[in-house]
Amino acid sequence: MIYQRSCIGNGAGFTSVIDEKFKSRSLSVFFITELRPETAALNNLAVSVLTNSNSRYRSYAAFSEKLSELYGAMLSSTTRKKSDSQILGVRASWLDNKYAIDGEDISGEMRELIKDCIFAPDAADGEFSEESFAISKKELLDRIDCELNDKHSYALMQASKLAFRGEPAATASYGNRETALAADPRSTFLAYQELLKTARIEIYYVSPEKDDSFADMFRECFAGMERAPIDLHFYCPSPLKPEPETISEEFDVNQCKMVMSFKTDTQDKYALKMASIIYGELPISKLFANVREKMSLCYYCSSNSSFVKGTLSVDIGVDRCNIEKAKNEILAQLEEIKNGNITDEETDGAIMALDNAVQQCGDTPSSYISWYFDCFCDNDFITPEEHFARFRSVTKERIIAAAKSLKLDSIYIMLNKEVHD
Amino acid sequence: MEKKILTSRHTGDSCIMVKHSSGLTIFICEMPGFSGVDALFGTKYGSVNTMFRTAADSGYTTVPEGIAHFLEHKLFENEECGVFELFAKTGAMCNAFTSFDKTCYLFSCSKNYEENLEILLDFVQKPFFTEENVEKEMGIIGQEIMMTNDNPEWRVFFNMMENMYHSHPVKTDITGTVMSIQDIDAPLLYKCYDTFYNLNNMVLSIAGNINAEKVLEICDKCLKPCADNGLETVFPEEPEEIVSPEVCETMPVGASIFHIGYKCAPGDGIERLKRTSAACIALSLITDPAMPMYDRLLKEEVINSTFCGEVFYGSGYFSLIFSGESDDPKRVRDSINAETARLISEGIREKDFQRIKKSAYGMMIRELNNVEAVSNLMLNAYMDNVGPYDAIDVLYELTSSDVTDFLRNEMHTDRCVLSVIEKEA
Repeated sequence: MIYQRSCIGNGAGFTSVIDEKFKSRSLSVFFITELRPETAALNNLAVSVLTNSNSRYRSYAAFSEKLSELYGAMLSSTTRKKSDSQILGVRASWLDNKYAIDGEDISGEMRELIKDCIFAPDAADGEFSEESFAISKKELLDRIDCELNDKHSYALMQASKLAFRGEPAATASYGNRETALAADPRSTFLAYQELLKTARIEIYYVSPEKDDSFADMFRECFAGMERAPIDLHFYCPSPLKPEPETISEEFDVNQCKMVMSFKTDTQDKYALKMASIIYGELPISKLFANVREKMSLCYYCSSNSSFVKGTLSVDIGVDRCNIEKAKNEILAQLEEIKNGNITDEETDGAIMALDNAVQQCGDTPSSYISWYFDCFCDNDFITPEEHFARFRSVTKERIIAAAKSLKLDSIYIMLNKEVHD
Repeated sequence: MEKKILTSRHTGDSCIMVKHSSGLTIFICEMPGFSGVDALFGTKYGSVNTMFRTAADSGYTTVPEGIAHFLEHKLFENEECGVFELFAKTGAMCNAFTSFDKTCYLFSCSKNYEENLEILLDFVQKPFFTEENVEKEMGIIGQEIMMTNDNPEWRVFFNMMENMYHSHPVKTDITGTVMSIQDIDAPLLYKCYDTFYNLNNMVLSIAGNINAEKVLEICDKCLKPCADNGLETVFPEEPEEIVSPEVCETMPVGASIFHIGYKCAPGDGIERLKRTSAACIALSLITDPAMPMYDRLLKEEVINSTFCGEVFYGSGYFSLIFSGESDDPKRVRDSINAETARLISEGIREKDFQRIKKSAYGMMIRELNNVEAVSNLMLNAYMDNVGPYDAIDVLYELTSSDVTDFLRNEMHTDRCVLSVIEKEA
């Protein structure tokens, strides 16, 4: 594997990974900007329009036809958040030329297609085409309307809104209904121009052989562009509420959901992650072993932590009559860690699981992209081995200290309407 | 022990297939350059296998709905400790799943694959069911059932199946119901285990950073030879007709969703693979954004990009399913029927056919990039009674007439079920 990162413009980086084992090529372009309620939906719409059409293929039908001609090449947009930042992506993957039955230059065609999507989208007179915009707008509104369809992710989203109330991170990565409804082709195009000017841009290209043509294309396109990229601050810990808050909603559901959010001011990110794994990220973790296996209260009960927001959350699906019992046990298991009741099997299991996960970095193009993008966000370009070594050096005392720093901030509960205690 | 090397004539990829002396079929794919290893140990036993007998049985045994899934949960606990604890010592990620026609146990790792393989082969061959541990699992599985019952995608699918199939058990939920699992006990679990977890009914599929000789050495050490038990599974007679053409349920959802299913004739082996290939291209043509029907419905805001199709098949069932979000699902159904009729009467444009075929080919090749996908490909080939690379060969040979024939012979409007989950008023 050969890795190389270069600067291709002001606040724009291009990372190339060559790994001959792959039969396909993958490219991701990330625009990183501030997550704000007033711009999140517009930014989401902008990158969505980019992957529906471009100035050469001016309808979704023509654009899709071209992608399927290129052996089902994939080109799509993504939006997610990391801390108080919004990360918008244009992702593409396609079959390597050597597998083309009729000797087509799939990579060359994809390069031109991507170039047009990003630098020559379907827009004129300062606005995106109405047709492409309308498709993206309906997609976004439908996605927002569908939030309640998946009860688990809805509960997590509501818990996030509660825990981060008043902070950028309370906004969904794709924005809200009001700003999506108000968006039009002009305001969305303007948002895209702003992204091109101010977003940090990181591009990742994974290919089975050396190919500088994508880096050259992006370098050339950014050369004539006026850029004023923003400063990035991913570490934005969320303040602890003066008193823990609980919010509940009732729905006509069978199973209740509960999400408990804890806050921490720890600076020890490796110890926080270890504490979270021991607490509830694995099937040998305390929550799984006790809340599920010993007490049979649930099918799932797990934890997840975010160092950059200073949070740890626990989520569970449970019967209404068992909510208090589950809550008490979840808190009791955290106390166990705080009191140092951590076995060698638990710490060894966490280390082994991390080692296993880290070693598989590089088995898919997307795992390379995730790894190097995370390094960029952490401003810490280390190898998977170095990353693992840092976890290995975490002592039991540091895990206990990280656990002790966790304070209950808020609880979101989705209640079942049918049963009334 | 019989050993064969299977090679794709189109990509050059190859794997080893072994019929082990224990009775087990083993697929091994060494993937140089990859760090990870994925292994699946599976049995042809899923939620539809509710009536069966072996050569030693005088009559058929009928078991409660959800027992295959229950058994999968319970196999994760052996006499000394939980299986998760064993894998935790090696760092491997382990899991299991039960579908309609198979149950699989798996691990994924980057180190110690030899030890992990021994754990996998060992625990699946060592059931430990007691009245206490069966009772303990009732609460956990009960919560899983409640969770899936709140999932509108799950509900819309099973509502459709209940209205498509009169008696085939594919119409019932894989996990069973809170009531049906109450009838499960340790002796019944042993009966199912002894019947279906016979190595002659099972497969090991392993891919990635492995050495084939080492894998076989471990199999020699860990597999307990067993005689073929003459397993016979039966399904109630299923008419060609559907039960009812429409079903609608209200749930707390933000947007209405639909499934539109066409009941087709079941099949097996290479014949079914050919029909599956034709069905996949037919589905792709109908759900292709470049085709007029999709373009029209998208512009009229009847569908969005969630509109897609899948071929759903197994022992005794085969159907085509279209799904998505829409406020006007009847219009989507009527449009699919009209588009099918148009493709049959006007024929499929060769340009469209070749484009869709190339797209399907590209996706198949890209699958071979991935350790997990390759281990699944080999496992599914065994379950489907075909070879791992047969799908690429069949696709190569497929013609537009094969697809038109499929549409004409299989997609009947009177065998179509529309299932809708509507949002509460």
